[in-house]
Amino acid sequence: MFPRKPRNLIVAALCFCIAFTPLSPFALAQKKTAPVEATPPPVREEFKFGKVDMEVLEEADLLDVRLERDGLVLTDGPSNAFVRRVGQSLIPHGLELEKVSWRFRIVRDPQPNAFALPNGSVYVTTGLMTLIDNESQLAAILAHELTHVMRRHTYVHNRSNRKKFLTMNVMAAVGAYAPGGVVGAVIMVVTTVAPFIMMATMYGYSRDLEREADLKGIDMMISAEYAPEEMVNVMKLLDRDFEGENIRLFYNDHPSLDERIKYLSGYLGARADKVTHQMELNRERAAYFKTVEPLMRHNLQLAIKAGRARSAVYHAQRLVDFHEDSENLFWLAESYRTLGPRAPQLTEKELTNSGKKDAAKKREKRTLEEEERDLLATEAGKNNWQSHQQKAEEFYRRALNAENPTPVAHRGLGMLYEKLERGADAVAEYEKYLELSPSAIDRERIQKRVEALKEKLK
Amino acid sequence: MRARLFALVVVLLTVSGSHQVQAQFIHPKIKSNETTIRRVVVMPAKVTVVRDSMKGPEGMAAESDELSLRVEKMVAEVLANKKKVTTLPAPTPPAASADGDSEQKYNVADFQTKFDALLPNIMKKRSDVKKARFTMGDEVLNLNLDKGADAIIFIRGEGKKLTSGKTAFRMLVGGMPAYLRLMIGIVDARNGEVLLYTDPIFPGDPTTAIDRLRKALEKGFKKLPEVKG
Repeated sequence: MFPRKPRNLIVAALCFCIAFTPLSPFALAQKKTAPVEATPPPVREEFKFGKVDMEVLEEADLLDVRLERDGLVLTDGPSNAFVRRVGQSLIPHGLELEKVSWRFRIVRDPQPNAFALPNGSVYVTTGLMTLIDNESQLAAILAHELTHVMRRHTYVHNRSNRKKFLTMNVMAAVGAYAPGGVVGAVIMVVTTVAPFIMMATMYGYSRDLEREADLKGIDMMISAEYAPEEMVNVMKLLDRDFEGENIRLFYNDHPSLDERIKYLSGYLGARADKVTHQMELNRERAAYFKTVEPLMRHNLQLAIKAGRARSAVYHAQRLVDFHEDSENLFWLAESYRTLGPRAPQLTEKELTNSGKKDAAKKREKRTLEEEERDLLATEAGKNNWQSHQQKAEEFYRRALNAENPTPVAHRGLGMLYEKLERGADAVAEYEKYLELSPSAIDRERIQKRVEALKEKLK
Repeated sequence: MRARLFALVVVLLTVSGSHQVQAQFIHPKIKSNETTIRRVVVMPAKVTVVRDSMKGPEGMAAESDELSLRVEKMVAEVLANKKKVTTLPAPTPPAASADGDSEQKYNVADFQTKFDALLPNIMKKRSDVKKARFTMGDEVLNLNLDKGADAIIFIRGEGKKLTSGKTAFRMLVGGMPAYLRLMIGIVDARNGEVLLYTDPIFPGDPTTAIDRLRKALEKGFKKLPEVKG
């Protein structure tokens, strides 16, 4: 009945473990067929605060303070008011949650992301605010995050993780004192495999909570009369990987975007009581862009500083298409100058998971400047740079010829000419900038550049 | 048995590591005395510690903030006492500008982010600091520091404190001890070049081991030339 040889016994034990992990084919098959029609109630009524939960809450309050203190929270009034209004409109009327005080804030980070703290603070990054198209998409993001808070996901996940960590530690202790012989070998195998199983269940549970937040989010959007199909559109937007950084790992705490699009479409199909007309969405888009235009410019500055040039070009072009003023043209020019010798889009190979992993390794080895230098040594890099510097120059010029020209376009041109080794032109542009912006924050920097260039020109 | 032996090796390596001279990498300009660091500005430190318990890691946000301040002050103290380096005030303390000048607050935050972005490159090949490979660019001038500042100090750190349960568990089974590891970069205030990188590490409770912290910092800045005259 049972295998007698030690090796067989070990193999049997391994098979047993693998069969019951969430990674097993049985578990995966079960996941795929899980119903998407039913979602739990919006609030976890039965939740009672324990000591551990209070510690998590305290940490969340301190994180709020830290984010603000470190200058990571955007203080732009109109954008914050807008996010607050959309967020508040999603909260069920009269809902009072213990130890939750709703706050909606924008984080200065060019990477598209959003997160919620269990104390009711919901954060959306400037990168995500810039990526989305309209108010309904913002509502989709906020509804997802609100569900995490309302369903107490952070506390529930933390409690579950603690149990699993304890199990892992007990297993490690058992493994360390395993006797010899066949029994000892089995114990060793089981205790070696157990942490992987536990890790898989932790991530699996996290993915379940994300799925719950996605589906519940759709319900909330419908209740607040937002176009629910925009939840799917947000996922599609997030799937556009300009910088090649969405790497699929063996363990993922979120379901894959493909999977999310699939189950959300399925859920929406089952209860599609409203599909918004394109014209209505276009109107919403214009209103959205108008409200968050300053935020989008701020994000472009952050993206350029972080070397996210491909995203910057895409977003700046969108801004110029919406409103072609001097400042937006300037940001498009800056984006092209930053793009430098890089290709405007990643190739198919670069967008594969292994391509992204290779790029991540290279990023660790090379600084942005070194990457640029290496690219400029190639024919393709030289061609890209030539094309991008021409575009940059054209947009700087257009920014300066537009109504109310922004002086920073002179600085941009100066930097472009300096790179092109047109010293005299660079000095002329820098000097115009200094003349027009006597109290600029970067005055000293530009003055030093002028001095160095003049010295070189002698 | 094998697991215990492995744990013992890990512990020995960590402990012995703390008694070795800390890794320090100095820019050739400092080595050749072409540049002397006399006055520095210490940017707000970012040190994070977690409490490792049998039930997994737990955040220690309040203790981390306290430790960050302590490290910041101690770096200034060690540099003053051992190297005669003067510390100048940091650009607009973030707390003071909470509802004031957003632009300056953002500026400081963006420089901290820029250092965070450069740090993995430095850590990947720390010895390249000696080849003058790393720079934060002339954007450092936008910080508009005191004109006398020669360098800016960026401090990052990570540490782990063990609960009593986890300490007992570690004795029985093995595992990483409590520790604090700092990553400190000194950047030229005029052109952004990374002049020194050091990453002292020491075992022990990071929230209470004040003497060990001081000693680790003293060792960490050992190669930095003392200001003469």
